[in-house]
Amino acid sequence: MNQLEKEQYLREYAILKAQGKPFFPYAVAKDAAMACVVLAVIISLSLVLGAELGPKANPTTTTYVPRPEWYFFFLFEMLRVIKPPSLVPLATIGVPTLGLVLLFLLPFFDRGPERRPERRPIAVATFIVVAGAMAFLTYQGANAGSPFAVEMATPARVTQAGGATLAEYTVGKEVVASRGCLACHKLGDNGNAGPGPDLTHIAARLPRQGIARTLVNPTAPMPSFKNLPPKQFAAVVAFLGQLK
Amino acid sequence: MPRLPKLPAPPLPAALKAPPARPGEEDGRLGPIEDAKQAGITIVDWVDERTSLSGVGRWLLFRKVPKGTNWFYTLGSATLFAFLSQAVTGVFLAMYYRPDPAGGAYESIRHVTNEVFLGQFVRGMHKWGSSVMVVLVFLHMGRTFLFGAYKYPRELNWVIGVVLLVLTLVMAFTGYLLPFDQRAYWATIVGVNINGTGPLLGPYLSDFLRGGGEFGATTLSRFYSIHMLLVPGLIIALIGAHLYLVTKLGTTAPPWEKAENSADLREAKA
Amino acid sequence: MPDKHASYRSRYTADRLIPGAFDGETITRRRFMTGSAHTAGAIAAGAFTLPALAFAVGPIFKSTPHSWVTVGKVGSFPNNNYVPVIATLTPGIGEAGKTTVYMRAFNPALDTDPYDRGTPYIAISTRCAHLGCPVRWVDAAQRFICPCHGGVYDLLGRRVGGPPVRPLDRFYTRVVGEDVQVGPRFSVNSELRRFSPRDPAEPLDGIGQYLYPSRPTERKL
Repeated sequence: MNQLEKEQYLREYAILKAQGKPFFPYAVAKDAAMACVVLAVIISLSLVLGAELGPKANPTTTTYVPRPEWYFFFLFEMLRVIKPPSLVPLATIGVPTLGLVLLFLLPFFDRGPERRPERRPIAVATFIVVAGAMAFLTYQGANAGSPFAVEMATPARVTQAGGATLAEYTVGKEVVASRGCLACHKLGDNGNAGPGPDLTHIAARLPRQGIARTLVNPTAPMPSFKNLPPKQFAAVVAFLGQLK
Repeated sequence: MPRLPKLPAPPLPAALKAPPARPGEEDGRLGPIEDAKQAGITIVDWVDERTSLSGVGRWLLFRKVPKGTNWFYTLGSATLFAFLSQAVTGVFLAMYYRPDPAGGAYESIRHVTNEVFLGQFVRGMHKWGSSVMVVLVFLHMGRTFLFGAYKYPRELNWVIGVVLLVLTLVMAFTGYLLPFDQRAYWATIVGVNINGTGPLLGPYLSDFLRGGGEFGATTLSRFYSIHMLLVPGLIIALIGAHLYLVTKLGTTAPPWEKAENSADLREAKA
Repeated sequence: MPDKHASYRSRYTADRLIPGAFDGETITRRRFMTGSAHTAGAIAAGAFTLPALAFAVGPIFKSTPHSWVTVGKVGSFPNNNYVPVIATLTPGIGEAGKTTVYMRAFNPALDTDPYDRGTPYIAISTRCAHLGCPVRWVDAAQRFICPCHGGVYDLLGRRVGGPPVRPLDRFYTRVVGEDVQVGPRFSVNSELRRFSPRDPAEPLDGIGQYLYPSRPTERKL
């Protein structure tokens, strides 16, 4: 904004202000109504959801699955998405610091006189992209399941088949969850995307024999599971063979 | 003899009239309610004579708000209100809390949640109030961004606002550790290590936050002190500056509001 | 009486426009008082700021004594699988100062790296080298698995997948009589070379060890 635009703005603003209403009681009434809404929301959240207190802090645990508070999910998910070790500082402090510096300096690099959102396409597009990315990462972070559990719904055809098929499927699911497969594979909302391929629809790409062969003779870095007890091994193959 | 029209009686001089009934009793004396009102006015006058606060109040409350302001403009005051709610509930929670990692912290929170009258309710308000406040801060910031309200002459207020956003997130993060349950502990470990990933200074920063090389006896009290003394102090000071600037520069008008149709007013000003 | 200073122009006062200064005067009463106010204020502010700051950053420079904890008897650890034991990192705060360590006897077939020679037991920390979450040893997969951001490590604690920047930390071990003891922690780089302990997320390959210095009071390895 140059001097002329600044003065124009100030003149225009003075007129608009002169045409306005006093802060008290007109704006204060709206503010007070909003405050009541805010308090109502806080109180109902407190009454409905309460204040859960988890198990006591235990640094010796090897089974706890830490997850942050929901408003840090976008940062948490960014740490999961940015995989290469050399980029870790970028994910932990690089991107957040850069974002904050840009936010901090915003009025110093965006100095155009235009204020209407529909005439600031770059600013509004940036806003939509950033807000969308944060919402998407928050959603992904909220759904990031434990790598030691499979929370998939059992397919209908397995439930209908029942009997031995269902029993083997359940055992196989349990073995897959507890034997660390999901450290490297994704299965529904659980597990990590990489280094191994996504297992959610593995049977559509690989027949049962192929699955069994891969489990015995995998490509590095996957370990061989030939030492699993035969029953468990068969159950894992049966379970993965149902994932179409 | 023709009758002359009767002239109306001349009005009585004011001094001869009966005085109008005064408030209170028939004899004009003040009743207790009026006495109390008078006493209140006298006290306010006494304070105002010595502080001139009424001028500040007029400046703060009876300033004009530009035409066209709408419900989006209540997000800032809603954030302030959420902060006040956090401050009040936080003070009362602090009365029960013990920052002792060897069991006292968790035990005191368990006591508040399960045994203190309304304890779970107040702790719930503080816990969910933090979520509400974070959401409101982001909404308020989004409104400011979309309405272009950070532009001249309000750049400094935007900068203060960004600092307040960071401080709000710091409050959310340091508050996390205090219940000392599993989520609190591991989130803090991860958060402190995230600070440690800054090259050169990072390791010293995480040592400072922990008060040593490992999670130790004073880590919890450090976070407690930052959470309830250091950062709230900064937030209160910066909210004061933020509000001062809002009052001094005025609330923005919505960007589509134009003063075109007010030629008479412009002439009047000229 | 002629002014005896009239002929003399000081090179200090000339053109410096010091208010109220006599000719030749470089410091007036007002300048002196201004300077005194600034100095006294700075001393007063420093008198409480500096000690408080030093008080807060002091723990960075405090050395922590190393302790050895007995975790089992000789022979109670296999050489091809890990057994979890509890060690104390920070004494005096109960549960909050303890950590789990995975122990395994030295195995010449597996531990071929020169740095491990002479170590009776391999003790691996459960703190993920990405950001410090608790890793779990999964025997069937022969992997350490982190539940947070996808870190996976092999039998020796070297990264297999995910974002960890270096292998899992280890602990010194020794045998005293019949007891196996776990001592201070140390960090290793991707070739298992030993470094003084670092926090998670601090790489030790290449220039990493200089970008992320160890604690100033830490005994260098």
